[in-house]
Amino acid sequence: MISRFLLAAGLAVLMVVSGIGSYVYLGTRQTHLAAAPKEPTAAVPRPGAFRLPGTLFLTQSGAIYSLSAGRFHQLTPAAGWTQLALYPGSDLLAVNRSRLYSDVYILSRFGAVLRRLTNNTPTVRNTDTSARHWSFYPRLSYDQRTLFMSYDEPKVGYDVPLSIWAMPVGGTIRQARLWTTSIDYTGGDIQPLPLASGALLYTKFLYGPDNKLVSQIWLTTQPERPYQGLTAPPTGPGYGTPLTRPDEDCSQPSLSPDNHTMAMICTYKSQVSYLTLASFNGSTLGPRRSVITNQLVAQPTWAPDGSGIAYLAPAVAGAGFQLWWLPRLAYAPPLPSPVPTTFPSPGGPVSSPVPSQTPTAAPPPVVIKPIQITLNLGFDATSPMAWIP
Amino acid sequence: MAAVVLSSAAGGFAYFLPAVAEALDATGQAVAVPSPTPSSTGLLGSPTPSIATQTPGAFTVLLLGSDNDSKFIGDHVLTQSMILVRVNPATRKVTMMSIPRDLWVPLSTGGTGKIDGAYSYGGPGAAIATVENNFGVHIDDYIWIGLVGLINVINAIGGIDVVTSSPVMDDFYPADITGSNPYDYLRVAVMAGPQHLDGTNALQYVRSRHNDLQSDFGRSQRQQQVLLALRAKATQVSAADVPILAAALKGQIKTSMGLQRIAALLPVAGGIDTGAIQQIVLLAPYTHGCGCAQGYVVPVWSQILPLVRQYFP
Repeated sequence: MISRFLLAAGLAVLMVVSGIGSYVYLGTRQTHLAAAPKEPTAAVPRPGAFRLPGTLFLTQSGAIYSLSAGRFHQLTPAAGWTQLALYPGSDLLAVNRSRLYSDVYILSRFGAVLRRLTNNTPTVRNTDTSARHWSFYPRLSYDQRTLFMSYDEPKVGYDVPLSIWAMPVGGTIRQARLWTTSIDYTGGDIQPLPLASGALLYTKFLYGPDNKLVSQIWLTTQPERPYQGLTAPPTGPGYGTPLTRPDEDCSQPSLSPDNHTMAMICTYKSQVSYLTLASFNGSTLGPRRSVITNQLVAQPTWAPDGSGIAYLAPAVAGAGFQLWWLPRLAYAPPLPSPVPTTFPSPGGPVSSPVPSQTPTAAPPPVVIKPIQITLNLGFDATSPMAWIP
Repeated sequence: MAAVVLSSAAGGFAYFLPAVAEALDATGQAVAVPSPTPSSTGLLGSPTPSIATQTPGAFTVLLLGSDNDSKFIGDHVLTQSMILVRVNPATRKVTMMSIPRDLWVPLSTGGTGKIDGAYSYGGPGAAIATVENNFGVHIDDYIWIGLVGLINVINAIGGIDVVTSSPVMDDFYPADITGSNPYDYLRVAVMAGPQHLDGTNALQYVRSRHNDLQSDFGRSQRQQQVLLALRAKATQVSAADVPILAAALKGQIKTSMGLQRIAALLPVAGGIDTGAIQQIVLLAPYTHGCGCAQGYVVPVWSQILPLVRQYFP
């Protein structure tokens, strides 16, 4: 009797355990795709990970982080910080974005706010959303006296395009000068990159010959003459010139430290992106060479010492953008050094048969692959990185 | 032994029970498709849809996306997004054709109006019948999803990677999801280029149409980009994630597809090469603006119907 009772009780326990066990087991098989990315300071880089030269600044979830000597440091709280650029004295320019407007700030390299450069905060209570403004993609001119940025003026009705403006550092938007005229209903002109010559590189959005909206890298040597922002921008004196074709769909220009090579992102009007390099002589681009073609690449950034290019890309589709490093050897391999050959001359002291002069097969080229620096983070792929030596 | 197996199965059943309940609730929705009205076929002269699909196994689904915030009463919503999807499991080919929401057509419920109104007058059956009557296609099933459902499902799978084709800037984006007043506006600025989008930002990207020369057509292209990104991310979902997805979509999705067809479709969806998906947006010469205050889009049937016959036989 007791043994039957024990058997029944044991079976009941076993059933409960197996029922709960299968429930729990299924729970452990979840992929946790929705898990938030790790904070850079908490998880990575892995021990012994590859160390980048200098200090790299990046943003994730509205916070600014620095990566130095293989360690991440959080510089600001997660409070809308994005789109970094260098400021003299190893300081930073950054955009602080809120729900309705954004402003450009100078921050110390340790994340302390030093100064606000724009004032898009509404001064009076105004419920008109169109009375607010965005400032994005700040960059300092070579002489460090002018702030270039994308700013949403002029805007008419529903059209809210970004145009490139140049504002004296310490001045106001009323002192700013319009450098580019954006095409109507395209989103406008972004990513200004002032050159030492005083010219300006930037990304313009326009409708290509097939009416598809594409990006194109432009160069202008002076503030462009204003024009009606129609579907095709005018060319000629007083206007900018395109450096890339519409079908290449290129954006995010980044110049090498010697200013002779441009890295950019080209998508060829598709949902993939290539890291493309081209020589740059100050006015035109040379032949394109795509060095990364199998990743969703964003924000190519040259190391200050020219030792490579850092960029952002997901390791797995849809799983957040990680930091990657492409060493210089991957895109600029050294020229093969001549192999010293010693052929005994006929009639010389060697009596053995003269070896034929068939060239020996060249050793296979060493393929340098990009190095994944972080594993499970989620960097802001629309935020340029900044890098100091 | 049998008892242990049974109890394990019971544990599994308990795990999937919420998903099963939601699936039973959302799938297999009965659709009453009104027969074509004489006025609609007569006006257009468009072909009567063939009832049987000509390619064995191939089927056509009408994807519908709606505002379903407090501005609308019950199921009387406009379909802001209408996409015809043709799936051929044998060849693993998919064709997506976006129908402009402002297309001016005879409605299956009577009269003429913008095609996005068909659903609000007669539910999914009216939307299906209107598309069938005008485009000469046979629609096997429909899937309807609300705005919150799209946000939730993208968040439930951890976001999607998209190359946004341009900065999407909108000072008059409806604040009907987040704000207390559904008639309020938000400012939206979705940056351009490759990026990871959460549900809210993805919705802003596909929903905004004010800052786009192509208006609804540009938005249709963005919607197709996001659908393809969703499909790419969905390949990473495991069966154990189904309850989470079901919870995310609770009350936000409806379909006439039965569970059997969905089960048969899932492996096919995973095997489709994204590059082989044909995407169609009915820009000129297929449509043109009316040049009128109502802002509707005029179909050019002599151009549209051959295209439809080619891709939706």
